[in-house]
Amino acid sequence: MGTRILSGNGAIVEGALVAGANFFSSYPITPTSEIMEIMVKKPVEFIQAEDEIAAINMCVGASLAGNKAMTATSGPGFSLMQETIGFAFKLEVPLLIVDSQRVGPSTGMPSSAAQGDILQARYGSHGDYVIMVFYPNSVEECYNYTIEAINASEESSSPVILLCDGLLSQMCETVELEKIKNTPKKRAFEPLGKGKRHFTGLVSKDGIPNTHCENNYREWYEKRKKKILNVAKDYNFYEYIRNEKADILLIAYGIASRAILPLKEKYSIFRPIRLFPILPELKKISEKYSKIIIIEMNDGQYKKELEGFLKRKVELISQMGGKISLKEIEDGLSRIC
Amino acid sequence: MGFQEFVRKEMLPLGWCNGCGLHILFYSLCELFDELNKTNTVIVSGIGCTGRGAAYFNLDSVHGLHGRAIPLAVGIKRANPKLDVVVFSGDGDILGIGGNHLIHAARRNENITVICNDNEVFAMTGGQLSPSTRLGGVTTTTPKGSVIQPLNTQGILLSNKKYFYARSSPVFKTHLKKCLRESLSYEGFSLVEVVSPCLVNYSKRAGKGLDEVFKEIKDKFEICEENRTLKDNEFGIVKK
Repeated sequence: MGTRILSGNGAIVEGALVAGANFFSSYPITPTSEIMEIMVKKPVEFIQAEDEIAAINMCVGASLAGNKAMTATSGPGFSLMQETIGFAFKLEVPLLIVDSQRVGPSTGMPSSAAQGDILQARYGSHGDYVIMVFYPNSVEECYNYTIEAINASEESSSPVILLCDGLLSQMCETVELEKIKNTPKKRAFEPLGKGKRHFTGLVSKDGIPNTHCENNYREWYEKRKKKILNVAKDYNFYEYIRNEKADILLIAYGIASRAILPLKEKYSIFRPIRLFPILPELKKISEKYSKIIIIEMNDGQYKKELEGFLKRKVELISQMGGKISLKEIEDGLSRIC
Repeated sequence: MGFQEFVRKEMLPLGWCNGCGLHILFYSLCELFDELNKTNTVIVSGIGCTGRGAAYFNLDSVHGLHGRAIPLAVGIKRANPKLDVVVFSGDGDILGIGGNHLIHAARRNENITVICNDNEVFAMTGGQLSPSTRLGGVTTTTPKGSVIQPLNTQGILLSNKKYFYARSSPVFKTHLKKCLRESLSYEGFSLVEVVSPCLVNYSKRAGKGLDEVFKEIKDKFEICEENRTLKDNEFGIVKK
């Protein structure tokens, strides 16, 4: 293919096709409508659904019937999909959900840049569940981590989320896609039509609903959690730019991590590419630094998660309302340091 | 094979109330699956009394979220068109919370069969007003009787260029089976509305015997043999 110019949305489509996606259902929303417009021309079963709830439920059905299914949306649609994400986790159904973020809550400031769906991606559905969340920061990475996300989803037999910046979805960059190799994963269960199985949102035992036994629930949940955490070990993606002289670690992901890149001359930078489950490597890396500062385009969503995980204070430089500025970040740093 | 082959034995006795029309509907379908050799069928349901039915069929089945049986079924059918996909769910699920999916799956003429058991209340949650509760129907949320017109399901289906709509009741089992048989063989989106009032609400709470509830249906409805728009008091099949 050689060097090409591609948008983040275009790269997500290319990655999905390489990973074997053959079913796509979605509902128009900026900034991911372009994914639909590109996908409709590809050899996949394509449905423009009546709403985002229908879109993700069609994906669950298609995945149960043996297809590799995906949907793409932005914050408002992502909120509508949350119930079904828990359903897919319960049913052990692989599927990819792309959420390309814009300023919320509500209709907010479409489609200015924001990273406000971090906690929604992890905790948006009701009840307890575990989910892998990936976050690319370039067009090339949109391609790469769409492939990884689909593979992780198949391997863990669970829904996986690709968070993206709306800015990145609609941004064009030059890419060399053939550099990235894909190793497709085999589906864990036979598709629908090959048995007499009952797939249900109810907690079950041996395929029969069993809703009054706490031990059955606990065993089921632990097994499910363990499986996803185990698979996640093979998807520990991050970037660590170490500055030998630095005593302060900056953390940023997605588009914010690109804005702070010039600061590597003075600070060390850690960029999680898999946001959830939180990378275990970060614990050891962070021990070297007297201060940790996170730069994110929300009111400290990942900061709170990291403080709980690292059990220490994480300072926040927040960039909200659709704007990110190196000058403001530098001002923030001089206030904190 | 025998219709028993389509019943998941581990689930017996079925969880529905004694006397509920769902038993007749369920066994009618099992008999038809046997008669038509529909072993390649996937049952999809939502939430509610009828939704529990997916677990009772000895076929691959999916018990989905409340209101989402239709898009789930559409995804299955589009992913593998060789499968026969049957939605088996209630009025709250299909006409209420999932109403948008009904409108658009019918408009796109998705090739699935939808069997909507219409018991006129949200039965599993205790008998609240549903989109199909009759005028004057007393429910736990309309203690003085409903003053809202029930949904015109036939109207939704018939607003399309191509359609299959049937209305029947377990009280008329032979006719019910005829409607189900035709809907299972129909190429395109088909819906069978099964009039089967919740006995807890319309018999026990209303102080009526089961026989009275069934007799009301027998007295009120007539079977229409023509292919034309059904009147409110008619059972029949209307298709194009």
